[in-house]
Amino acid sequence: MKLNIHIPEPTKPIPDIRTGEGLLQWLSTVDHKLIGIMYLCTALLFFVLGFGEALMMRIQLMRPLNNFLSPEAYNQLFTTHGTNMIFLVLTPMLLGFATYSLPLMIGANEMAFPRLNAFSYWIFLLGGLILYASFFAGGMPNVGWFSYAPLSERFFSSTKGVDYWVISLLLMGIGSVGAALNFVVTTLTMRTKGILMNQLPLFVWMVFVNSFLILAAFPVLNAALFMILIDRQFDAHFFVSATGGSPVMWQHLFWGFGHPEVYILALPAFGMVSEVIPVFSRKPIFGYEFIAASSVAIMLLSFGVWAHHMFAVGLGTTFNAFFAASSMLIAVPTGIKIFNWIATMWGGSVQLKTAMLFALALVVNFTIGGLSGVGFSLVPVDWRLTDTYFVVAHIHYVLIGGSLTGGFAAAYYWFPKITGRMLSEKIGKWHFWLYFIGFNCTFFVFHFLGLLGMPRRVYTYPDLPYLGTLNLFSTISACVFGISFILFFWNIFYSLRHGKIAGNNPWNAWTLEWLTSSPPQQKNFEKVPLVRSRRPLWDMLHPEDPDWKRENKNKIKKTGNE
Amino acid sequence: MFFFVGSESFFFLALIISYIYFSHTGGVLSESSHYLDIKRTGIFTIALLSSSITIFLADVSLKRLNRKAHRIWLAATIILGLIFILGQTTEYLKLYKLNFTISKNVFGSAFFTLTGFHGLHVLIGILVLLIVLIMINNGKFKTIEHTAFRSAAIYWHFVDAVWIVVFSVVYLGALI
Amino acid sequence: MGRILNSIHRFFSEMSRSSSPNEDYINKLFLWFLILAAIIMIIVIVAVLIGAIHYRSSRHQGEPEQITGIKWLEISWTIIPLLILLIFFYFTVRFMKDIDQPVDKNQQADIIITARQWWWEMQYSKYNFTTANELHIPVHQKLLMRVESADVIHDWWVPELGRKIDAIPGTSNYSWLEASDTEEYKGACSEYCGTQHAGMRILVISETKNEFDQWVQEQQKVPSPPVDSVGQRGMRLFSERTCAGCHSISGIVAVSHIGPDLTHLASRKTLISGVLTNTPKNLYLWLQNPQKLKEGSHMPNFILSNNELEALVKYLEDLK
Repeated sequence: MKLNIHIPEPTKPIPDIRTGEGLLQWLSTVDHKLIGIMYLCTALLFFVLGFGEALMMRIQLMRPLNNFLSPEAYNQLFTTHGTNMIFLVLTPMLLGFATYSLPLMIGANEMAFPRLNAFSYWIFLLGGLILYASFFAGGMPNVGWFSYAPLSERFFSSTKGVDYWVISLLLMGIGSVGAALNFVVTTLTMRTKGILMNQLPLFVWMVFVNSFLILAAFPVLNAALFMILIDRQFDAHFFVSATGGSPVMWQHLFWGFGHPEVYILALPAFGMVSEVIPVFSRKPIFGYEFIAASSVAIMLLSFGVWAHHMFAVGLGTTFNAFFAASSMLIAVPTGIKIFNWIATMWGGSVQLKTAMLFALALVVNFTIGGLSGVGFSLVPVDWRLTDTYFVVAHIHYVLIGGSLTGGFAAAYYWFPKITGRMLSEKIGKWHFWLYFIGFNCTFFVFHFLGLLGMPRRVYTYPDLPYLGTLNLFSTISACVFGISFILFFWNIFYSLRHGKIAGNNPWNAWTLEWLTSSPPQQKNFEKVPLVRSRRPLWDMLHPEDPDWKRENKNKIKKTGNE
Repeated sequence: MFFFVGSESFFFLALIISYIYFSHTGGVLSESSHYLDIKRTGIFTIALLSSSITIFLADVSLKRLNRKAHRIWLAATIILGLIFILGQTTEYLKLYKLNFTISKNVFGSAFFTLTGFHGLHVLIGILVLLIVLIMINNGKFKTIEHTAFRSAAIYWHFVDAVWIVVFSVVYLGALI
Repeated sequence: MGRILNSIHRFFSEMSRSSSPNEDYINKLFLWFLILAAIIMIIVIVAVLIGAIHYRSSRHQGEPEQITGIKWLEISWTIIPLLILLIFFYFTVRFMKDIDQPVDKNQQADIIITARQWWWEMQYSKYNFTTANELHIPVHQKLLMRVESADVIHDWWVPELGRKIDAIPGTSNYSWLEASDTEEYKGACSEYCGTQHAGMRILVISETKNEFDQWVQEQQKVPSPPVDSVGQRGMRLFSERTCAGCHSISGIVAVSHIGPDLTHLASRKTLISGVLTNTPKNLYLWLQNPQKLKEGSHMPNFILSNNELEALVKYLEDLK
């Protein structure tokens, strides 16, 4: 496929990131690299807000019957925390890395639609600001990040928080869809000469597949959002049962978006880890085809599992059984990935750099999160554990243990490329261990809390056995977890000034972004050699043992000297 | 543009499914379906469907490098689109006078939401086509003329296709 | 050492308490799942550690062999999880059917639960009385619950007695309830329903048949008017200060569902949907300033004087 659009090269040399022309350059840029950096910085900013929200909740929960926060304040906090972390932290983090790295990894000089790229970022930011504007407009939304009807109808939520939430999500959704369009078209039309679709680096492949998820899921959210907005503003009757509407319809529509959304958050992280683990094991990824195919399987299946969020609604045994089956099925492709990542390490020469440590943490933590998810697909178990702290454990294990951890792996891996300097390994190791221990201590106990009968979204709980102790333990661990982020910020700040100069390819990696300088010049690449395999730089360095010879042979390779 | 159109079709799919669900619960369809004037809407539907033909002819003219015909067919498409919008607007006004509003019952909510969003998409399409036409007249397009026009044309065909589904589900469906 | 093992044992028993055949099914399925999950976790953690430690670069120098995959291995770790899940799916469906047994269309529910913001209304169809927040059931009897909601979506959940079920406005959900022991069971609302979702707790008391019948008789009685002057004043205040506009008491006022039925308030163990123990002192504090004890609740502060409070408390605490 070829685009007919001609993207002109700049006539004057344009300064690089750090000698840039100040604020105006950032506000007006259409360069995917700068836009990527803006996404990432935005994610960090909103992370601080979201973590503050979480910390306040944890302080309220550290004792039974605590009164640090009023119930109304707590309810606004947990709603905003959820919305913030999903849409304003994880999404821009993943979109940011994708925007930055995708063109570089396919040898392109720019995205297919640079202006759409910029527009996507700015409208996403506008959405985020509108969400927080609700604080000044009478109250942040307080109906949970999934805003079930009829609680979210005007009769039960008369403050404007929900309306702001709706508009904010609509705008952020436009940003995501724009970015997804860009990713798809860029991958299809702007690959450098020689890259076939089955030779894409796995991060690019994951982002590509993920984009289809975004394109299909966000419109369903938009439909639901418009319907609740019309209900609230124009007295329509979509979700009010007294006048013929159906509250359960909201749940179907929302989870029709919501379930693909969680895979939207997970797949790019899988891609990141699929880049990091091979490089730091000094071997190619084990089972490229299975990993790529399993991503497509996840993409397709994710549209057929949404009602596993609704097992307690009472929709009937047949209905529940279908969704139980599909939910169990979707566990298999992820399991394949976990095993393939481990197999990549075995037989390799593993370097435990910070990026690799985070990647391995994802393998372990996401397995825990994924297993608790499989637990929920067993419907009777769901009937016990849904809407309890067991769910809170599950979601944080997959979202933090999965997406965020993958993001940190990507951060340590690509920071040298983005800034030209290495992040300090010393601070990095401290960051990692405090993060890993803090995270697991904070959230593992939630599994027990759920089993002990603590429901979720409660601003306090009665003084029943073990509830207070476990909650207190979690709060203290959360502080340790928080300190790890301070270390990360310090690492960035310190390394920008004093970090070791990185050079083109500090990790001796094999994908195209490592061919160009760090940071890349505005044009990305002067010249890209013909690509014949999945690891073009390996081929360049090892002309006697190139990948394209390997990829064409029979995959079952057993050497004689074992 | 194909991917964008694909994405938007999920939006309409969700709205159409919701419409079908809501129009069949509570028996409101039988009570409210008499508000739908299928003959009148049918006429405006023909206008919209014809506009797909005119834009196709515009495309053909462009390929044959007959710029004058291209501009005429494009203008015709815009006019037919405006006729459709006019028809929708007058229908809405008529319904509001008869007190059939978005808040009357769940059928009203679903009806106005579904047809309203479609109308909005038509309006946006007309705007885009107008912009393309003006830019062609001002000689702005040289090499990318084809792409901008073709993208707009794909969007326009999509909007038309959605209307065929919506018309069938809403107006023809009410007859069953 | 023994003490540690003991406390671990107690901890796990606390988590898996069950007093119902339905909950037993759930616990069994969960236990099998837990064993499977533990095995998988151990495999993954050990494999990662072997990868990180045994194959670390200080022990394996240079570029290793560039293997890209072993097809039969990948196929087997696709097929084996699938087969294991198939087995779990079978038991999932079977237990689902056992727990959620079909309800005959003509069958009338024994107990009708109407969830409201933020309390539970309970009606016994056979016995013709309404109570709130505290459910008594005869042990070893399989009862049919009909769960509805008057406002937003709530969820009935008593962990030891079986599954949770949503209370959705506009529809009725059915669930079977059977207790195997005579005990008190604590539960909670399990679907976020607004400000006081955390304050919407449930108490189910399972009793022998005799105790239950006795309780039913007590609940069906219309309370006689108070004989003492303070109580009588309380009764007057109940109507004068518009309490009767939201709360019903048999024999005095017409039915109002806005607040819980108070006919036999004094017979209950807790107040305010499980938030407070039922003592005169707590009731006094509640009436003095409801918003302080359950902020956001729909009960306004009537700004009662101390005398009025005492009278009302006396009257209400005599409603056994």
